[in-house]
Amino acid sequence: MTRYILKRIFYLFLTLLIIASITFFMMKALPGTPYTNQAKLSPEQIATLNQKYGFNKPLWVQYFMYLGNLLHGDLGTSFQFNNQPVTQLIGNHVGPSVQLGLQAMILGTILGIILGSIAAIKKHSWIDALTTIVSILGLSIPSFVLAILLQWFFGFKIQLLPVALWHGFSSSILPTLALTALPLASIARYMRTEMVDVLSSDYIELARAKGDDSSEVILKHAIRNSLIPIITVIGPMAVQIMTGSMVVESIFSIPGIGNQFVQSILTNDYPTIMGLTLFYSFLMVVVILITDIMYGVIDPRIRLGKGGKA
Amino acid sequence: MKRLKHPKFFSFAMLGVVAVALAGCSQQSSSNTPRNKTVAVSSKDVISTMDSSLNTDQIGSQNLNNTMEGLYRYRGKQLKPAMATSIAQPTNNGTVYNINLRHAKWSNGDPVTAHDFVYAWRRIVDPKTGSQYSYIYSGIKNADAIVAGKKKPDTLGIKALGDHQLQITLEHPIPYFNTLVTGSQFLPINQRSIKKAGNTYGISSKEMAFNGPYKLVNWKVGDTEWTEVKNHSYWNAHHVQPKAIKYYTIKDPNTGLNLYDTNQMDRYQDISGDSARQLSNRHDFGTDLTSSTFYIEMNQKKLPYFKNAKLRQAISLTINRDELSNNVLGKTGTASHSIVPRDMTHHKTTGTDFVKEPSALADQQYTSYNPKKATKLWQEGLQETGQKELNLTMTTDDTDTAKKQAEYLQNSFEKNLPGLKVTISSVPFKTRIQRQSTHDFDLIVAAWNADYPDPTNFMDLFTTGNPQNDGQWSNKEYDHYVKAAETTDINNPELRWKDMLQAQHIITKEQGVIPLYQVTSASLTKSNVHNFKITPTGLYDMASVIKN
Repeated sequence: MTRYILKRIFYLFLTLLIIASITFFMMKALPGTPYTNQAKLSPEQIATLNQKYGFNKPLWVQYFMYLGNLLHGDLGTSFQFNNQPVTQLIGNHVGPSVQLGLQAMILGTILGIILGSIAAIKKHSWIDALTTIVSILGLSIPSFVLAILLQWFFGFKIQLLPVALWHGFSSSILPTLALTALPLASIARYMRTEMVDVLSSDYIELARAKGDDSSEVILKHAIRNSLIPIITVIGPMAVQIMTGSMVVESIFSIPGIGNQFVQSILTNDYPTIMGLTLFYSFLMVVVILITDIMYGVIDPRIRLGKGGKA
Repeated sequence: MKRLKHPKFFSFAMLGVVAVALAGCSQQSSSNTPRNKTVAVSSKDVISTMDSSLNTDQIGSQNLNNTMEGLYRYRGKQLKPAMATSIAQPTNNGTVYNINLRHAKWSNGDPVTAHDFVYAWRRIVDPKTGSQYSYIYSGIKNADAIVAGKKKPDTLGIKALGDHQLQITLEHPIPYFNTLVTGSQFLPINQRSIKKAGNTYGISSKEMAFNGPYKLVNWKVGDTEWTEVKNHSYWNAHHVQPKAIKYYTIKDPNTGLNLYDTNQMDRYQDISGDSARQLSNRHDFGTDLTSSTFYIEMNQKKLPYFKNAKLRQAISLTINRDELSNNVLGKTGTASHSIVPRDMTHHKTTGTDFVKEPSALADQQYTSYNPKKATKLWQEGLQETGQKELNLTMTTDDTDTAKKQAEYLQNSFEKNLPGLKVTISSVPFKTRIQRQSTHDFDLIVAAWNADYPDPTNFMDLFTTGNPQNDGQWSNKEYDHYVKAAETTDINNPELRWKDMLQAQHIITKEQGVIPLYQVTSASLTKSNVHNFKITPTGLYDMASVIKN
């Protein structure tokens, strides 16, 4: 197990290096300069600034300089926000995004599992139909439509919750709900399909035949076995949601990270683009690693270290 | 004035009249209005930096203008002495300014001295600072050489003759010098606070000291909301009525409207074209003219037939600028007949607007919708240049409003100019700028925002060889007049005015670039908040705002 994990960590860093390299060269191919006042600068002024920031050096020199700084944990300073270190920029904005993402994931996963399980147990009932409708709606309604509707109804019409802004927990309710739809819908769908499968399998029949009562069978065997594919989806989905939804964040004026990423690309803010890409990639590979380890916890048949030898 | 204590006797309309009257005598008004109010307004984006040497955007400039004070301050369109005790008149043929500073204090208790100005001005031209606005110092003694790294920053033409006396030396007279230095690039910097903050100066309010009407508190860069409280150390604090100004970053128009309609904001500003179109009938909707012009440039280097004036004139005459402003831009723009913005520069003695002088009004024939004449000129132009069919790509920004505008223009052109086919290429801002500077376009919709309120700021752009002359239109006579306004006639306001009018006449008649519209800033404002006065460089003077 330890050897396996060490090997995976080595691959993790290799993946990050490849991502960093590809992003670096793609980013340098973007048209324009990172200077926010580019429209008013003459070619001579741009040349002077390029010299200051080392952009006049050959691309490969810049690349290795970048990698060198990266090894020291230095992501550079932002161009959009003069003098602001990128690490600090990410640190200041990641909080709200992660909070919303976690809340939405937890709520979505719990509701999705409950809804999916009930739908599977009561197959072809009204609740099953409802689950299908919720899934289709959740997957097909874009989060910004839901966000605007929630904002208009709860914020403006009945004025129960804040319209927007980031003032404590109450501000997080509407954006969380807007973000919950997607995980809820997809998890409910996966859960239903898996559960229907599991419920008709031999070992459930056996458990029932042994005299286990129905609720025990479902809790002990059916749900647990149906969770395996869900875990595969949850990880990457969690990263996606936690790294900020640009649209939901801008609708609710939340100081999150999603908007920063888009802004940094639009303004050619090289250090921020690189910093955020690496941050996202890091989260993603770590989550995938954790997911792999989790498999073993849930299903002893795929316990990792032994799996290789078997 | 005293009756203002009983606003219930007034209709809203009368309150409006009173508010306008108050503008002239804020001293009396401020003692009569409540002083415990916070004014909440929207901001279209966050503050990128509060370092006046590094700031490049309008939001930074606005918040620096709220919290810092330079030599002069615009009260609406009126230039008033601020840190300077009076508006200085130059000596030595217009090249030396001796300026006395008032005894004022920074918010950290330090006195504001001439050294704070010297320090800040040297810092911005120092190539080590990497300012993207250092070029604006061009014309101040040695500035260009320092920016280019050929001279030391301490050779800049600014000297402290004492703690409260500045001497500024120019390389050549700059007739608009006093308005130029209202820009945020010319603000003083408190040296104690910058020494404490070091490299991180301007990214949080903690280490900063302010000498303006308000001071920023508990702010760090990237915050989506921030508060500026009244600065009691401000020399003119008595005339600042609100207790604080609160800013909320609003990127989504529905959010802005919902916050405004649920009374969480007193003013929702910078409303974009699409939303403005829907809101423009509301009684609380208003617009202010800014000093930005949008125009079309035609690439004469790539497509030499655009050297033919008739083709350029024809394109211009197909555009119904009023329809464009009202129906497409939702009143976030108003028809432009000159590249120089309206309500930006006025004649010193007569007070006539530069773009409303008789010659400018007569030239509106070149920019007024006239499809028949357009078709005729176009056909003549095609014949003269030996062209039959033209396939052109028009590059524009990729905002919703820009796309709609492009479609409107495409339709106007193709309908009235036989043989012309226009393809629209909507690209992100950075790409548009890149295409402009590399002359990689056929037609491009570009814009310029005034750095200082003088017509030459716009006219310079289209002189031969100017790097911002993207379409490379060139006219010797035009070059001559612009140059005369900047050199030989610089100390003669009458001649200079005439030179600039001549230049305006030439570029308008020739349609060297095709003016489209002047940007207006659209907003919704509650009836109990008054006096949002826009300055010639498009900022609001928040020190004058009053909330009842």
